[in-house]
Formats: sequence, structure tokens, C-alpha cells
Amino acid sequence: MTHRSYFCGSPDHGVSRRGFLGTAAAASAFAADMTHLDVLQTPLFASEVKKQQKHVILLWLAGGASQLETWDPKPGAPTGGPFRAINTSVPGVAISELMPKLAARMEHTAIVRSLNTRNADHGGGALMMETGRAVDQGIPCPDLGAMIAHELGRADSPVPDYVSMYSSTEGRRKGGSGFLGSRYAPMFLAEQTIPENIRRLEAVSDIDHQQRQELRTFLAKRFANGRMDNTVASQNMAYERVRGLMTSEKLFDVEQEPAEMRAKYGPTQFGEQCLIARRLVEAGVPFVKVARAWWDSHGQNFETHLELVTELDHVMSTLIDDLKDRGLLEHTLIITLGEFGRTPGINASLGRDHFASAWSSSLSGCGIKGGAVWGKTDEDGHKVIDGEVKAGDLFATVFEALGVDHKREFHIGARPIPITDFGCGPIKSILA
Amino acid sequence: MLTRLISLVCALGVCFPALVAAELPSPDLPIQAVIDAAIRDDLAAKSIIPALPAAEATILRRTTLDLAGRIPTLTELADFEKQSPSEKREKLVDRLLDSPDFALHQRNEWDALLLPSTRESSNEWREYLLKAALENRPWDQMFADMLAAKDDDVDRRGALQFVKARARELDDLTNDTSVLFFGVNVSCAKCHDHPLVDDWKQDHFYGMTSFFSRTYVTRNRRVAEKSYGEVKFKTTKGVEKVGHLMFLTGAQVAEPPRELTPEQRKTEDDAVRKAQQEENAELPAPPQFSPRWELVQLALQPENRPFLARAAVNRIWARFMGRGLVHPLDQLHSSNSASHPALLDWLERDFVNHGYDWKRLIRGIVLSEAYAWSSEWTSATSVPGPETYAIAAIRPLSPRQLGLSLHVAVSNPASYEMVLDAAKWSQNRNGLEGAGNGWAGYFEQPTEHFQVSATESLFFSNAERVQNDLLRDGGDRLVGVLKAQTERDSGIQTAYRVILSRAPSDEELNAFRGFLSQREDRSVAGWQQAVWALITSPEFRFNY
Repeated sequence: MTHRSYFCGSPDHGVSRRGFLGTAAAASAFAADMTHLDVLQTPLFASEVKKQQKHVILLWLAGGASQLETWDPKPGAPTGGPFRAINTSVPGVAISELMPKLAARMEHTAIVRSLNTRNADHGGGALMMETGRAVDQGIPCPDLGAMIAHELGRADSPVPDYVSMYSSTEGRRKGGSGFLGSRYAPMFLAEQTIPENIRRLEAVSDIDHQQRQELRTFLAKRFANGRMDNTVASQNMAYERVRGLMTSEKLFDVEQEPAEMRAKYGPTQFGEQCLIARRLVEAGVPFVKVARAWWDSHGQNFETHLELVTELDHVMSTLIDDLKDRGLLEHTLIITLGEFGRTPGINASLGRDHFASAWSSSLSGCGIKGGAVWGKTDEDGHKVIDGEVKAGDLFATVFEALGVDHKREFHIGARPIPITDFGCGPIKSILA
Repeated sequence: MLTRLISLVCALGVCFPALVAAELPSPDLPIQAVIDAAIRDDLAAKSIIPALPAAEATILRRTTLDLAGRIPTLTELADFEKQSPSEKREKLVDRLLDSPDFALHQRNEWDALLLPSTRESSNEWREYLLKAALENRPWDQMFADMLAAKDDDVDRRGALQFVKARARELDDLTNDTSVLFFGVNVSCAKCHDHPLVDDWKQDHFYGMTSFFSRTYVTRNRRVAEKSYGEVKFKTTKGVEKVGHLMFLTGAQVAEPPRELTPEQRKTEDDAVRKAQQEENAELPAPPQFSPRWELVQLALQPENRPFLARAAVNRIWARFMGRGLVHPLDQLHSSNSASHPALLDWLERDFVNHGYDWKRLIRGIVLSEAYAWSSEWTSATSVPGPETYAIAAIRPLSPRQLGLSLHVAVSNPASYEMVLDAAKWSQNRNGLEGAGNGWAGYFEQPTEHFQVSATESLFFSNAERVQNDLLRDGGDRLVGVLKAQTERDSGIQTAYRVILSRAPSDEELNAFRGFLSQREDRSVAGWQQAVWALITSPEFRFNY
């Protein structure tokens, strides 16, 4: 095929025009991954699986969490608020006193304190931090979950490869797979904790459910005769996944966990969802998003953060311990991120407003140099004074932490769209 | 006029390959004859023997899905089978083009294309499209209506929803207009001159943007325009520039000079803000000079109109043939040539000469030989590329096509016996439209490289609505008809003819016999699952 030249490849965007790593190559790289639920019952095999497959749990702090009450405290500054900073298990690194449990586990977590993303609007900021892109591509772009599902998921995986949960109406952004197509769209848990249509209806017997599918497969094979078509193949694959996906129903059921384990995560919805996230990851799901809302503390910032950060501290610490105990932490990346941070300035309602100029995110586990801190804000937290990063830089770091080449390109027809936003690259010093 | 030279003014390097009309086939030939010759010549030059003609039942299904937006009914299948072979295709096409189905389907296609479901829609918009489809309103007029209808023109203002739904996002309005009407994606040229397409400079992006930058929507959801305002941008070298009202060919509109004092600007700004914020605020008088109207005038001038005409022809072609003569559809520019350049030129000329008559073009395409080739490649040679059209494309049904087809497929076929009687059918067709739409929301609009999601397969596999509605065994449902049949084989025949518009092969008959005989003790469940397998099969999900 001749190479047509009708796409953007401007040096202004710093586009890398390297060879295209096709999906076939990506798929075969993970072909050895046999993440079947039944297989997980065999301990030896389970450990093999854990070694090979990588996962992400994204803790989405919807509405925008305050960096000052979490990862970048400014005690004593006029903007600092009432909470102190505490030392952590890593010498020289201090975080908010609202996170004592995470402080004790700092050796697993790297902090990025220098995000300057310039969009302090909920919708626009969320879209940017979901997709990692500030440059408009003129087409809908996939969010992080869809990109990771595409990179780490297995084409015929029996488990979902992208699950998205939220905990209150405000956090309910669907995200999406954009140009990657609906194969990589999230299984979205809206009103219920069990996904829609994952359970067989009583009116259809199990044998009928299975055999009608076999009859369908017979028809599909006849149709495929002399017709090679990717979209047709995607329909067959979607049906082939049905029975496997149905067996994952139990993964969404926290009742399957021992009472002791449930008590550790706590009785909150966020805690239960993080426990489900761990169950999903253990079964081979590459990407789980748990959205916790609503951090948008224009008023009473400190009460809000006392409650929400304390919960985050407890649940995330439990998650880290649990993953570690199961040997999964080194294969699982936990990210805390939202659409933006909050203003250093405290308003008349004792709130903090939207702020995208100097805020923080954290990365724990897989591929991360624990205890590392990247970037610096000034003494009041108004601006980044060292190591400024954009959304795309953070995403490139996530890709590299998972072993995904951040220079890789997707192709839409002949047009390449780099997985990383233009002009962005990984923060190497926080990568293991 | 017929020897018109289609060589364009190459302002700013924008020009299509200059072609002299005399090189093109005669303008008096029927569209399908020109298509057939162009495709045959290209195949011969490449030594490709195309696929066999599709089976007659396949042609019926394909054409009905394309023109009526649904699968054929049992009555239509029986009627088609008994028509004389020499004229049945033409009769079918003409019947469908005149049917109430066609206007509804055409409306739905436009709606899905021009206002994707993520955008705000309105009844007025859908009514406008339906009316335009019914009266075969020429595409140049529809284009003018959508961009610049007068707000007090009750007959046309529904079309303004195209602008209204995008008025808050100037970049979207600019780019969607360029992509959908002119086949040009200028978004790359927002931040820099297009690096690899000489045609597209930043001046073009901001030139297009300038036509829309004064547009706003009032609190009462009316589309309005300010009387002044310009777009400023920075080049990659950091030079500040002002966007000119400039079309893609480089042609510009000169705005009559008009001095506004700061006070006058403030007065207007206040009035606009009031209109945007307050209900029933008095609207500022529409300005004398409307940039959107100027864009319409400019785009329709003879030297500029190839963009509108070519983009329309290319898009209509792609809808029926699975791929644009220029591919992708938004990359119509000088360094991306058409697979059949003379054919595209001829079709474009024909389209303009016949008053932008899209219905005439559709008729020509679906009567072409290539449209009716099989989608199955039986030859031992390798499959030819899609740009040769040597084999029919396999196209996923749109949500509305699928919704309507599902409803037709699972209904008692007697409900549609009046389908050939246009008067009686039109009374029933609206009900079908509503029923189909009730299903369409479960499915996704196909895009390029479309994939069917597990959400869809899980929906069909486990949703209560599928079991309790599609597979219900009431008298108004196919399952109700099948369970009442005494002969198993004739039941299988009926299910195949109703759902897949063809008879089963012997192998299929055997497979279904086996499946049903294992369920003799619960024959309703047997028929339900048999129907399930047929409506979830790829043969049903795709237009092949």
C-alpha cells in the first residue's frame, strides 16, 4: 500500500512518525496471558498470570481534590489551611496529616506535584484528564481506561477489560473509547453494583442459553464463508465473550469475600467498590476506574476534605496492603487523579475553588519508584516552580510504568494518532 | 454549458486536478451506465474479475435496507419472487423511492449524520428533514437552510438546529461544517499550516471560523448573529493575524466597511448579553451583513461549488457502496485522489446539472451493476481491495435500521400485508417507526472500523426486553405464528423467509430440525431460541 500523506505530522506537535505497532503484534505479545477464571483456581498458574499481566486501578477524585490537603501540604503558609504536614516512611517526604496510613506506606507511592493543565472547568478539565490530551484531534479520543484496555486487554478475554464504577451522581461521567471503538468501552456500573445483562434470565434455561448460542455460531460460520470482515468478526467475538463475561458476575459480589476482608475495606460504598476492583484485577481485568465524588469544595473545604481524605487514606491503604499480600501490587498501578486541584486561596465560605495551575496526582505500585516526588510548587502553592507537567506527561508516565511504549501510535485509516499527546513524555525519575 | 471547463482557480494552491469536460462520458448517459463502465474499465485494467451477482433475495434485502431502512416483509419477498427478472430491480427501486419508508429513512440518515446523538436535537429539526426528504429538496437549498435559514421562516428554520446545536463550540461548528458539507477536515490547520497537505493553511481554518464567530444562541433558543467581531489567531511563528471571511478555495468576502464607536459596540454587546441571558428579551435587529449567509453564497458560486457537490456525491456513494470514491470522506484535497477520478467528476457534474438532486443520484447508484454484486468472494484469487468495488461491502445496520428490522422480523408477517399499497401502508408505517425507534437506543451508530460491543451481545443474550418483547409468543409475534404451525419444516421456512428474507439451505434446515426436535417438550422455548439465533446472526446484523 502506498503511504498517503494527508494527515497531521507537524513538527510543531512533536509527532513521532515511527513504525506502526499493529494490534496483531500487541495481541500476540499478550497471547501468553491466560487469565481465565477457572485457571485462577490453580495456585501455580495464578502466580504465572500475576507475573505477566498488568493492571490499573484509577481512583478518580471527581470534582477536584485539594492538593494542599493531600499530596502537597503548605503548613504555615497563608494558604495552608488548618491541617499539618506529617513525615512519611520515606525520609524527606511529607504529606497532609489527613493521610497517616498512606504516609506509613509511602515507599509504594510516587507523587507528582507539578501538574499545570490550564483548564479549571469541570467538563473540559475532566475530558483532558480522562484522555490525557490538551490538543484537539478533531475526533473523539479514548480515555485512559479504553487505551489501557486496548493495550493490555486480550481480544477474547473472558473478563471485561474496562470496568467503571462511580459513587454519586456527580461522579457519573461515562468516559468512552472514542476512535478505538466500542470494543474498548467500559462496562459501566450505574445504579447497581452488578453489571447490566450479565445474569441469565430465569425464563431461559442454561442449556437453551448455551445451545442457542451454538446455533448462532453455526449461522455465523456459514456467513463468514468467503467474507472476511473485521466488523463481522467483532460481532462474533462479542457473542463469544458472553458466557465468559457472565461467569464474572461473582467478581462483582462483595459477599463472596470473607467478612474479615470486607471489614478491612470498611462498610462504605467506596470501600466496597475498591474491594470489587481488587477482585476484578485479581481475575485479570486490566483497568478498573472507581470514581469517588464529590470533592468540589467551594465551601467548607476543610470539613469536606477531613471526611473524604480520611476515607481515601483508609481505603487506598487497605487496597495497597491487600494487593501487596496477594503479590499483585508490583503488577498493579494505583492512580489518584481528578479533573484539577483546588485554589491555594481560601474563599469567604472557607472553600477552595477550581485550580488547574499547580496540582498533584499520585502513582503507586507497578513500575513506579516508590517514595519519589516530582515537581515543586512555590511556598504558597500558587504556581509550579520546578518540573511542570501536562496531562500528556502524566499519561506517558502511566504508559511506561505499565510497559507500554509511550511513543506508540494508533491509526485511523492512514492517519496516525500518537497514544501520548503532542510534545509530551514520561517523567523518568519516578519510574522504577 | 456542457463543455464547461472544470478547471478551478487555484487560489492558495487549492485546486482539483483540472479536467476538461470533453474527456468525461456524455452527460446524457444514465448514471448507472457511467458507473458500470467506470468500474468495469478499472477492473479490466487491473485484471480483476468481480464477484458474482448477488442472489435475487440478497438484492431485495440490500436494496430495501438501503432505501426503506428496514428488511423486506414477507409480502415484499413473495412479490419480488414473482416479478419478471428483466425489470424487477428497476421496479423495486422505483417503488421503494416512492414509498413512505424512503422519506423516513432518508430523514434518519441525515439526522444521524448531521446531528449525532450527543448533540441537542429538536422536533422542528426532524420535521424539517422529513419535509425536505418528502419534497426532494435540492441539497444546495438544504445546505443554505441549515447554515443560514431566516429565523422567521417557519418552513426552513428547523434546519438551523445544525448551527444551534454547535453554537457554543466555534471549533466544532467550523470543523463539522467543513467535514460534512465540503468533505474537508481543517482541524489540523488550527494550530499550524497542514504539514503534508499544501491545501490547508491556518488561514483556511480561521477563514472558515470567521463565518461563524458572530453566531450566538439566545435564551429562547433562537440563532442570532452579532453585527461585528473578528477572529484573531497566532501563527506558529508567533505572528498575530486576523481571520478573513475566506472559503476553502481562498475566495474571500469583503465586508462593507462600517465604523462602530466604542459606545455602539457596548450597546450591542449589552443587548446580545441580555438576549443570551433573559427570557423574552428583545432581540437586537439582525445585522445587515450576515457572515453565515455570505458563506452560503460563496460556497455556491460556480468556481467554489465543487466542494459542496463533490462532498455530497462522495458521501452518498459511500453510503451505498461502503467506501467513498475519495477515502476517507473528510480528506477531499489535491493530494488524495479518487479511486475513479473521471467517475467522480462526471457524477459531480451530473449532480450540479440536475439541481443537486440527491434522489436521482441514489437511484443511479442502486441500479448500477456493482451495487448488486455479491459480498462473498468465491474465487481462488486474493480478495480485491475495497477501492475496486469488485465485491459488495458488508455494512453494519444503523441503530434505526436495526430497530426497524428487528420489529419487522419478530412481528406476525400478516401485520405487514398491506405494504405494497402505498396509501394503506403509510398509515401503518409511522407506528413501525415508533416501534423501531424504541429499540434503536440500545445500539451504537456505526463509524469507520466499527466494532460490535459486548454490551450489545449481553443485551441480546440476557435482557428481559428481548425475551419478553421480541421473543414473546403472542399472536402478533412471529413466535406466536411459528408455535401454531403443525409442520416443523414449514415453520423453519417461515422463520427464515421472515427474518433473513431467503429460504434455508438443506444444511440449515437440518440444524434447525435437530435443535427443535430436542425441544419437543417445550416447543415455544424451542421456537424462541431458534428466532433468537436468527436475529443475532451476522446475516441479520449486517447489510451484506
